[in-house]
Amino acid sequence: MKKPARRVVVAGFAVGLIAVAAFFFWPESTPSSARVFQPPEVKASRLTPEQYRLAITDVFGAHIDLGGRLEPVMREAGLLVVGASSVSVTAAGMEQFDAMADAISEQVLMHDDNRRVFLSCAPAKSDQPDDRCASEFLAPVGERLFRRPLTEWELRSFVAAAAAATKALGDFHAGLSLSLSAMLTSPQFLFRIPVIEEDPDRSGGYRLDAYSRAARLSFFLWNTGPDAELLRAAREGELDSDRGFRRQVDRMMASPRLEEGVRAFFHDMLRFDTFETLSKDPALFPKFSRREMADAQEQTLRTLVYLLLDQQRDYRDAFTTKKTFLTPSLAAIYQVPLAHQGPNGGVESWEPFEFPAEDPRAGILSHASFTALHSPPGRTSPTDRGKALREVLMCQTVPAPPPDVQFTVVQNTEDPIHKTVRQRLIAHSTVPSCAGCHRIMDPMGLALENFDGAGEFRLVENGQPIDTAGDLDGMEFSNSLELAQVVRDNPAIPSCLVKRMTTYAFGQDFTQDQRVFLKQMRVRFRESGFKIPELMRTIVTSPEFFQAAPASDPVSVDALTAAVR
Amino acid sequence: MRAPGSAIPEVAGVRGRHGGSGRGAVLRHGAAFGVVLWSLWAASVALAAGGQSRTFVVSFFAQQFTNYPGDCPGGVNPEDERGQIAFALRTMGYSGAEVRCLMVGWDQGGEGERKVNEILERRAVINGEPVNPMTHPEAVPDPQLKFVNAKQSVGFDLDGKQSADDFVDMITGKPGIDNQLFRSLGCNQNFRGSWTSPSAYGEWVWVQLRDSQPAWLMMITDAPSGKAGEVIVRIQRSFDHLRSNMDGSPRWHATYRADPDPRSFNEYRGYLRDGELTIPRQPRFSVLWNGLSAPVLNLSQFQLRLQQDSRGQWDGLIGGFQPWRELYFAFSHNGIVGDRPGLWHAMKKAADADPEPATGQNLAISVAYRFTAIPAFITPSGASVRTAMREGSKP
Amino acid sequence: MNKTRRGFLRGTFAGSAVAVSLPFLDCFLNESGTALAATGKSLPSVFGNWFQYLGLNPGRWVPDQTGSNYRNKVELAMFDPWKERINLISGGYYHLDGRPVETHKTGVQIATLGGIPTGRESGASLDSDIADVIGRQSRFQTLDVTGTGGRFGVSKRAGAAYKPVEASPAALYRRIFGADFTDPNAAEFVPSTRALAKASVLSQVSDQRRAVLKTVGASDRARLDEYFTSLRQLEKQLAMQLEPPEPLPACAPPPNIGEEAEPGGEVTAVERNIDLFTSLLIHAVTCGQTRVFNVTMNTQGCRKAGSTQNWHGYTHEEPIDDALGYQPETTWFIMWANQLFTNFLRKLETTPEGAGSVLDRMLLLWQTDHGYARTHTMDNVTTMTVGNAGGLFRTGRHIALAGDPVTRVGLTVQQGFGVRTGAWGSQSNRATRPITDMLI
Repeated sequence: MKKPARRVVVAGFAVGLIAVAAFFFWPESTPSSARVFQPPEVKASRLTPEQYRLAITDVFGAHIDLGGRLEPVMREAGLLVVGASSVSVTAAGMEQFDAMADAISEQVLMHDDNRRVFLSCAPAKSDQPDDRCASEFLAPVGERLFRRPLTEWELRSFVAAAAAATKALGDFHAGLSLSLSAMLTSPQFLFRIPVIEEDPDRSGGYRLDAYSRAARLSFFLWNTGPDAELLRAAREGELDSDRGFRRQVDRMMASPRLEEGVRAFFHDMLRFDTFETLSKDPALFPKFSRREMADAQEQTLRTLVYLLLDQQRDYRDAFTTKKTFLTPSLAAIYQVPLAHQGPNGGVESWEPFEFPAEDPRAGILSHASFTALHSPPGRTSPTDRGKALREVLMCQTVPAPPPDVQFTVVQNTEDPIHKTVRQRLIAHSTVPSCAGCHRIMDPMGLALENFDGAGEFRLVENGQPIDTAGDLDGMEFSNSLELAQVVRDNPAIPSCLVKRMTTYAFGQDFTQDQRVFLKQMRVRFRESGFKIPELMRTIVTSPEFFQAAPASDPVSVDALTAAVR
Repeated sequence: MRAPGSAIPEVAGVRGRHGGSGRGAVLRHGAAFGVVLWSLWAASVALAAGGQSRTFVVSFFAQQFTNYPGDCPGGVNPEDERGQIAFALRTMGYSGAEVRCLMVGWDQGGEGERKVNEILERRAVINGEPVNPMTHPEAVPDPQLKFVNAKQSVGFDLDGKQSADDFVDMITGKPGIDNQLFRSLGCNQNFRGSWTSPSAYGEWVWVQLRDSQPAWLMMITDAPSGKAGEVIVRIQRSFDHLRSNMDGSPRWHATYRADPDPRSFNEYRGYLRDGELTIPRQPRFSVLWNGLSAPVLNLSQFQLRLQQDSRGQWDGLIGGFQPWRELYFAFSHNGIVGDRPGLWHAMKKAADADPEPATGQNLAISVAYRFTAIPAFITPSGASVRTAMREGSKP
Repeated sequence: MNKTRRGFLRGTFAGSAVAVSLPFLDCFLNESGTALAATGKSLPSVFGNWFQYLGLNPGRWVPDQTGSNYRNKVELAMFDPWKERINLISGGYYHLDGRPVETHKTGVQIATLGGIPTGRESGASLDSDIADVIGRQSRFQTLDVTGTGGRFGVSKRAGAAYKPVEASPAALYRRIFGADFTDPNAAEFVPSTRALAKASVLSQVSDQRRAVLKTVGASDRARLDEYFTSLRQLEKQLAMQLEPPEPLPACAPPPNIGEEAEPGGEVTAVERNIDLFTSLLIHAVTCGQTRVFNVTMNTQGCRKAGSTQNWHGYTHEEPIDDALGYQPETTWFIMWANQLFTNFLRKLETTPEGAGSVLDRMLLLWQTDHGYARTHTMDNVTTMTVGNAGGLFRTGRHIALAGDPVTRVGLTVQQGFGVRTGAWGSQSNRATRPITDMLI
């Protein structure tokens, strides 16, 4: 062989080797579609209090009284829905679930009006078991409650339970109601337990099975279990085809129940559950009581639903919008006029309200649901509000205070009983170990000092105008209106929304394995003009939405039973 | 109420821009969003700036008495049911011993109580037939309830004269204060009160009705004359009851729809100086009232004097001559006021204005009412008036 | 037990727990006067946890003497009436092992869990471990309350989330003494047919439910395991409704509590709630409903009405008064909270049971989150036990740990109650030696 040809062959071989190496070892250089998404390991999650309530009202009607208290869920990765996959049922919680199950099933089967609706058959003898009629009731109800058809074993056991209870009580309906009660305390109802199957589209990969897909879709879009139509589609394999699946997505997104899902999402993201334990000193804030706390949440949720769902506006406009909804009693807190409609003494109604352009109030940061929620009972706290903005809306973590935090500044003041916000924040901004973190929180909170601890607006404090200037990540603002604009323009805002909504939809926190997918979602969100319904559709129709990793370390029940006390 | 605090310092030397409202889009709103009237919005901003409100709602209203211990020599008139029954028996001519014996029987109930009630049925008699003494007080001989013996009171000089009956103003020190209602009723326990503590009766009426009776509104505007301190004061009714917080305190900054009904429309020239609002003597004042007080509050020789505190709340008095028989109308079906026929005769004797031509009996009595008002928004009623009137918003 | 005698007891108690007027019938006791002859068992021991945030003032509580003859300093002087029953432990340390202090959280974790958890999962709190030994037969394995509002307490099972706490005395009343309460002294016991029916239902569905465990992964299994543990507690409660209970002469259900509590820490609300809760807990103990309870005094939100500042804020922002040498408002709160605890002790001591009072069979563990709240110190932390749990512990001592981990106290308490463990805690907080002075 001539020398130049050998060189060519060697060069060609080397190029080939490099190309092969590049293909295998440099993933960034490959097209995104070839990148592998590592789905998170699926986890069971307990129904949140609101999901439990909705499940009951969906199946049995809104007039059913739950008759108990729902065990709270802890927040994880900023969401209760994620924390729900880390909690179980405590003994005290089980008592409550049991009491509620009894109350619900009694209303369903022991009150004549309800029984007529739910029970279409009658037992052969009213004081004897009747497996056929019990089965006719328990099978469809069980399918709705367990979010999938009952297995033969499950149905058999609930029918047998009804029979046993009927014998003990001498009443078919009472016995049937105890079996329904047992269904309502079963783990298959209280926990969303995903089932996975092999994914035909990815060799070696897994996905959620049809019913689990239906549940994940339904809990995201409507915050409740699949309705009868969605269960039917799952049963008949329609969710396995792209067309069938999209038909259901279209149906659910066109439904007015989409509002419930959006509300539930923002209720979780904005941490409205903490209103339950919020208290305001009535002597200092007589206007702000339980009723106003409920109204404040409703104001923000209505505003968001109107803006993002009805009007299909840019999500970031939520921070600058002048439009909101108020009741007259809420208007008194904002000190704006809003007359009662209708006769004297009637129920207050919600009215649209728009702040004029020059009014410094704009967006959800000026709502009482933000300003009052993130304030201690007796005063404001710029630090609390700044921290809430960072953590709740920008998904940024503020480090904990240092263990050796010094309070020598505190010692040197003349009259610290009357310590003002000003003096305390001087320490925050000048002492080096404090300033690092407080600088990223306090300025935004200071801009919101126009809003007192109960969300009431004020321009002056003790006769002096409030100075509200500061900066957020280098962008300056001189008042709350400018803060709103600066917040709107901060890239962390839409980015955080995507993270929250995606983890909410999946029900689990994301790790580095899903980082690329999250980035894709952010890009699509931006391309859509930051529209929420578009983002929801993008998430549910993404190929990744139903991909799953199998459970690690499965074990037999017998071995487990032996190990458990 | 505001939390304490003061101006916020610069943080780490950063200074913000001034002015500009940024790129916040001016929304081209649909019909659903009515933009609030400019003046009302300006008022709302002014409110936030502290104490500049010119529109108010009445947050407390009741007769103002200023008692002190010992102002009824020999004690107050009998207050509880037992005391009143014993008192009534005495006025009917039974001796002290007889009354004591009868009351023992009354205490035991049953036959003893029935016997006393039988006697009391004849307390008022017309043409030999017993009648209800509460609704026929003239048929009851005057029980001679005690009058207050105080020298001081609050109120106004309504007639411009000084007479023996007049009081010295407790607050201003001026003589000639006319408050015959205080004099005649001030020795009845449930009417006794002070500046800081309303009477049991006044408080009771207010609390019963504040969440249902249409609220009263006050609006202060600059007088057209342009003279400093001269204002036009309008007092009228609303369609809406007073709004309260969950703890019962009046809710500031609520919104009320003004009722244009001329029967409750009063407009006067007043004077506003150093936080004090006064309306000098006016011929009449009239607002529709309520079933526990009187159907209409009519005051002749009306005057008003209010002080405003730093937060914007008004507190003070209105006064005038009020038809006393209208007051009795409300008292007559209310057991907590005291011996009702006695109150009739007391007011009748103390009445000091508006003589009836035929008999010379004065039909009106001088009175002062405590009047407090807090900042509120007032909206013209517009279409909602028709709705409200159609659906019936009478007291 | 003779039914007429039961009826006699029931009639005379007439709804009041403090039945001082009834002369105790000797025939109920054995020779030592501490047992009920009918069952031959001694009254069971009880563990109570009182967790009070924000601690005491250094320099105002550590006695100068150790051992039995110590004199309380000013902040604990009000505990003197119970000094014989108290072990006061000073000088304890919450070790960090280089981890950052999460203020008002790390101390709680070390005190109740024995160490700082790594990762999301963490072990059981010490009251759970004790309840696993002594609480198995109780209707409620633990009762968890808070006087100061909030939703979660300091008690948890292994691998689980913190248990929710009861913030409403009325709700706790309904839970314990509502429809499902079986009066141990009732003249006649009628097993509930409903409970029978429910029990039969549960036995029919039990296997099918357990099969769910096969379908989930390892971490889910742990959580479902907690579900099944809670279910077992429910089943136990049902079973108790089917058997006649042991009579308990000191038991009398309390009067109904009508109103709901307000959440939050305004001091009069806290006083009311603590007052109601401690009474309810005493009733629950004397009526055999539980043997372990937790009271959380999350003092961070505590404030006086109309005040813009709360206890926690004062600890950091109030200066030390030059003349007094301490922070006046902060110290007011400390003394106030101590007063609430001593009120509880007084109630326990004046509730007759057996030959003495219900306090006799109890041990209360008083713990806090920091040595000095003002600077979040983790040294010289105050810990206290009150009572000897029916003779399981020695008491009346001031014990100076001199820098040892506070978990030695937790270990000692657990061992006294019969938890089989030779050590407790992790890393530098690992205690391997109990405080022998405290153990019999």
